Amino acid sequence: MRLGDLAAMSLGNYARSRLRSALTTAGVAIGTALVVLLIALATGAENNVRRSIFSIGDLRLVTVQPFQPGANGLSAVPRTIDDGVVSQFRKIGHVAGVYRQFDAPLGQVVEGGDDAAIRPQGIEPNAPIDRGDLLAGRHLALGDRGVAVIPGNIARLVAPNVTAAIGKLVTLRIGGAVRLGSTRVGGSGTPRDYPVTIVGVFDEAASQTSVRIPLEDALVAGADNRGLTADSLRQQTGYSGIAIEADDSTNVAEIVRSVQELGYSSFSLKQVVEQIDQGFGVFRGILAGIGGVALLVAAIGIANTMVMSVLERTREIGILKAVGAAPGDVRALFLAEAAYVGIVGGVLGLLLGYLGGQVIERIIRELNPRTNPAPIFVVGPDLVLGALGLAILVALVAGFLPARRAMRMSALSALRYE
Amino acid sequence: MSTEQTLAVETRDLACTYMSGATSVAALDGVTLTVRRGEFVAVMGPSGSGKSTLLNVIAGLERPTSGWVRVDGEDLAALDEAGLAGHRSKRVGMVFQAFNLLPRYRVVDNVALPLIFAGVPRAERTARARALLDRLGMSSRAEHRTNELSGGELQRAAIARALVGGPAILLADEPTGNLDSANGAALIALLDELNRGGQTVLLVTHDASIARHAGRIMHLRDGKVLD
Repeated sequence: MRLGDLAAMSLGNYARSRLRSALTTAGVAIGTALVVLLIALATGAENNVRRSIFSIGDLRLVTVQPFQPGANGLSAVPRTIDDGVVSQFRKIGHVAGVYRQFDAPLGQVVEGGDDAAIRPQGIEPNAPIDRGDLLAGRHLALGDRGVAVIPGNIARLVAPNVTAAIGKLVTLRIGGAVRLGSTRVGGSGTPRDYPVTIVGVFDEAASQTSVRIPLEDALVAGADNRGLTADSLRQQTGYSGIAIEADDSTNVAEIVRSVQELGYSSFSLKQVVEQIDQGFGVFRGILAGIGGVALLVAAIGIANTMVMSVLERTREIGILKAVGAAPGDVRALFLAEAAYVGIVGGVLGLLLGYLGGQVIERIIRELNPRTNPAPIFVVGPDLVLGALGLAILVALVAGFLPARRAMRMSALSALRYE
Repeated sequence: MSTEQTLAVETRDLACTYMSGATSVAALDGVTLTVRRGEFVAVMGPSGSGKSTLLNVIAGLERPTSGWVRVDGEDLAALDEAGLAGHRSKRVGMVFQAFNLLPRYRVVDNVALPLIFAGVPRAERTARARALLDRLGMSSRAEHRTNELSGGELQRAAIARALVGGPAILLADEPTGNLDSANGAALIALLDELNRGGQTVLLVTHDASIARHAGRIMHLRDGKVLD
């Protein structure tokens, strides 16, 4: 039997009992629509969360903290990161860059008054946090000493505007008590003043208190504060943190593992994203399961209709077999008929699910105009293909037993059937 | 010419046994027969003599319990279900007492039906069906549905369907059983005419007045051929 004949003949059978086919198809359509609607909702929510995370930072980044991870994750024990450890980090595969950071004690920009409390961060040139967020001037460069890149809000305290702040000489007072917001924080050690030149101003959206200064300057300030030398501070206290940049985000997990093997705890956005993905996978699975129940009910409907149809057409099956239809032909005819239910039901269900999502979205926005502007329901090409494929698969599985029954029917007894 | 090529049907010691409750019933009990090509053979016997079973075995609708049957040289025992379906679509054409046409198709589509399963393209199917309907004087009925046809016309359509695949043998099971005497006589005249055109015909009937049109009559009783 030719494929075209099979398609035409079974379409004729599908279209013959209109009401019954329509009702069976409607069942598949509703089930598919529900699957589409629920998965579109889960996808929309996931996209939203992922978008917010991507806006936080770079997925290639692994941040190492000066702690040893405890057995249960709660009992982290402090562990020094010295230059020996840093050189071990550099040897890890797929590492594109290792950037040391030393946070000096809290302080303030004297010219900015009490509101200009700062957290001086000693960083290396091209450190991931010191990239692409300038309002004026430049980032830290190799060989810099006695300079600072400050947030826009502090720049405006010391100069009429951010551009005017560039090149200005200010005093960093590091150590001692500072005022953060409305509370005074008892700082550490005796305050000391360091003159620095402002070379850059960054967008305070990143931080309103961080002041980026060369790593060496921060180490000196930290050492002064505690009566040590910079070198002994490196060895005894170690760095505040290390930013490791992977050559690609897919290698982040491997780097995290190596860092943990060296005995340090680490953090990466990539892993957070993976955990969120996992969580959403479960969420999506649950929603798909709810839709799946609707499809299961539809499948039972199809099976029932097909059983009736086989019974009703017993004599016809006998005739087809008597004039030369092979058992496989008869099975194919009934399976194809079930497939039509799946195809038509699947397409209608897709439309229904998509349009339903649009309508619900419009209603939600009408009721609450401040709803996040990102789409609530997201129907991607994989969902379209997946839902359609699922509808057809469900229909074929439901049609399998009735079709087999038709196939195995004896031609002679079928011909005698009244 | 070898016997293989001259024989349309050949059976040897054909037996067909059914279990009916605890007792076994022999519908066929050692039937050995031959039908040569171009013959018009009538099988006669009372109901229950096994004549329909014989036809069904030759058609490949039923498998014998023992013995063998060859149709057009092909041993049916060697064929699986799909092979038997091919046998029915190519080597034999069946005509039933109950016509067995599909009411939702037009006459021409009913006639072309066996060719679908033989994998013949649509245009060729329709052309062959129309030509055959024309030959049987049914071309004016080709586009009609079967419920618009008389009994005689239905059986002509059924004969057209049986012949459309160009079968080695036409098997007719009480084809006049549902027809009045005038239509029955016309049908037998048609079978006669087809046979004169070279078509091998095996007819099953219990009616002696029908059977006498055949070139040879075989009598079956209790599953055995009477000499």
